[in-house]
Amino acid sequence: MEKTLKVINELKKNGLIDDYAVGGGIAAIFYIEPVLTYDLDLFIVLHKKANNKKLIELSPIFEYLKQKGYIWKGEHIIVEGIPVQFIPADNLEREAVKNANETVYHRIKTKVLTPEYLIVILLRAGRQKDIDKINKMIAQAKIQKTVLKAILEKYNLSEKYHTLIGKYDE
Amino acid sequence: MNNNKKYLVRDKKIITREYLFMKKNEFHNNQAKLPFEEKIKILVELQKIATSFPHSRHKKSLVWNI
Repeated sequence: MEKTLKVINELKKNGLIDDYAVGGGIAAIFYIEPVLTYDLDLFIVLHKKANNKKLIELSPIFEYLKQKGYIWKGEHIIVEGIPVQFIPADNLEREAVKNANETVYHRIKTKVLTPEYLIVILLRAGRQKDIDKINKMIAQAKIQKTVLKAILEKYNLSEKYHTLIGKYDE
Repeated sequence: MNNNKKYLVRDKKIITREYLFMKKNEFHNNQAKLPFEEKIKILVELQKIATSFPHSRHKKSLVWNI
């Protein structure tokens, strides 16, 4: 995975993306016991100019990767043996990327969403597998409840949290 | 089911269901504390297992080359 992250870091270095952070199942694994997943979800922040357009242009990123010989498989692009999904960040995700934890994986720098933002993003998706991950996160990760509460309130997800997960202090 | 019911296991050790589940929980919590690199190695093993079942819905999924 370090080779994959190296390539992703190149995207940032070459100005094709402003920033990124690992999300989804791999971000969850950063905080909880390993669970089965097959893709590396990356929330990418594009330049402001690109964001203001009605149609978000991802082709420069894909052209760059294509030139490096990486191929598509379904919705994923296989980068150094790992299926990667690029998710252009919306407001919540942009904030999550900005506040993501910086870490290293085999000496390669990367960013992983914080558990609080990850929970909120998973909750918003709301599939059963997302809810399962949230419950594991609550059981196994250190969650800053005041931070989580603030994000949930900001994005009007408190009620959904209470319905699907429970009270903050449970 | 009575969680305090006692069971005789190997080496004449007596355990309860409560103890068994407590140990299970402890194992999962310890797995969560492993270094990220170790967890990714375990993930790849999980992918190998999941894709190896003959009728697995993961059969066509890609096992990571880390």
